[in-house]
Amino acid sequence: MEQHSSESNTPDLALESEIAGLIVSALNLDIAPAEIVPDAPLYGDELGIDSIDILEIALVMSKQYGVQMKADNEDNSTIFASLRKLAAYIREHRSK
Amino acid sequence: MNPIPLLPAADPAADFAYVHGQVINRGTFHAQVLTLAAALPAHPRVLNMCNDRYWFAVALFAAIARNMLTILPNSAAPEHLAAVASEQAGLLVLGDQAENPVPGLPYLQVDTLAARMELAAAPLPDIPYDQPVACLYTSGSTGTPMPHFKTFGRLRLAILAGAQRVWGAAGQACSVVGTVPIRHMYGLESSVLLPILAGGRLSGRIPFFPADIADALAQMPAPRLLVITPFHLRKLLDANIVLPPIAAILSATAPLSVELAAQTRQQLGCPVLEIYGSTETGQVATRETDVETTWHTLQGITLEQRDGELWAVGEVYQTPQMLNDTVELFSPQQFRLVDRKANMINVAGKRSSLSFLNAVLTGLPGVVDGVYCVPERGSDEVVERLAVFVVAPTLDRTAILAGLRQHLDSVFLPRHIVFVDALPRDGNGKILARTLQELIVRHLSGNH
Repeated sequence: MEQHSSESNTPDLALESEIAGLIVSALNLDIAPAEIVPDAPLYGDELGIDSIDILEIALVMSKQYGVQMKADNEDNSTIFASLRKLAAYIREHRSK
Repeated sequence: MNPIPLLPAADPAADFAYVHGQVINRGTFHAQVLTLAAALPAHPRVLNMCNDRYWFAVALFAAIARNMLTILPNSAAPEHLAAVASEQAGLLVLGDQAENPVPGLPYLQVDTLAARMELAAAPLPDIPYDQPVACLYTSGSTGTPMPHFKTFGRLRLAILAGAQRVWGAAGQACSVVGTVPIRHMYGLESSVLLPILAGGRLSGRIPFFPADIADALAQMPAPRLLVITPFHLRKLLDANIVLPPIAAILSATAPLSVELAAQTRQQLGCPVLEIYGSTETGQVATRETDVETTWHTLQGITLEQRDGELWAVGEVYQTPQMLNDTVELFSPQQFRLVDRKANMINVAGKRSSLSFLNAVLTGLPGVVDGVYCVPERGSDEVVERLAVFVVAPTLDRTAILAGLRQHLDSVFLPRHIVFVDALPRDGNGKILARTLQELIVRHLSGNH
């Protein structure tokens, strides 16, 4: 279900925190979900997330929200640029 | 041995490559290769950094036409590229990106060059059987990645032997989609050279997400071959999305479980052919993992046990190649794999050795001592993730990851970094397996 409300530009903090929890548990990360800074890059040194993890995250997102990630149609590095970007993408494309 | 034409004889109008929604025929590919070959400035070696498989192939065959050796680094880690550049003099970088991927070396962008179509029917150069055409880098069990050279005639023979097996399993020559790196031996053989040299069709894409894989397959006509790793295959099945009919799947780089092979056959209705091979040997043998434990060597390759070592022998090798695994030989063409090389580790199909990783870790400025380990997997984890114990009073987690990233593919970055005051080493300077196990139990077992 797509949302086109005026709120679509404000971050959905509840969704961000839910996704952070899914990421931490799916990847067995050493940190608490709240420690993922919403605007910080997901890829890279901070979390040590790599392409294998991205595939893992994509699978969890499809199971949880019915969103099939695609590298070709969307700018992948944008979607995974940060938790906030990922949450915004999920909010826009989720089917469940 | 007689020289061999650069490309096999083919109908110029036959569809060959699927690139950005366009279909490129054999004649256009032929013209594109000869156009680039004529335009290449003279250099002894090229570094092929193309991202699209089609342009990678054009650059590879153009370089072969000009007798320029193609160097294929095993990762894009800056230190590895720097090491390759320093030991391979006279490099020209070929790529399909606007920006030079290896700043500091001369660069030619190859995908902006329009094919001179009058060359589509021009004669192809004959390539000497023994011409070295590619240099790949092994993961290096002793530490440093080692160059390994392939010659045109032998590489071609190995591809044709593989084609006989793979097309046989699929029923006929296929459209090939590969998710695997094209600069590694498996991806080079199965996703690049197989379609070019053995009458298949090539996809420019290297799809990543399950939906991308489905798209790339759907863009090409049946029969289709999917070239993939066990990790990626697992994720593809888990995604449970609609895929176009697949005639056969190839799996390599990490052991394929019987369960995964059987589930694939059940879910996708096609056989999974597992390939046994290495950078040094290329593809050696195959099996259909869900129905047989026995490996069958490709035509022209036999295995021999000599002086307690195992050798792969055949015309595809300039000299016999030693294999580091323990096998039970039933015949020179049939064997069972008993044990894979111990020091090697495999993360989602990418290989390295613990000694190499340890050397990189302990070589970082500020690291007093350190050791990599492979903690036991949690039951829900399908892929091995690494951990390190490190003595580095002045560094934090971020600094260590940043240091390692300079040298290593990111899959080899540790998931867990445990700072300790000292690492107990024995009189030989070794950390005993028992000691390491105690450290893992004390610091890491809470994670599962």
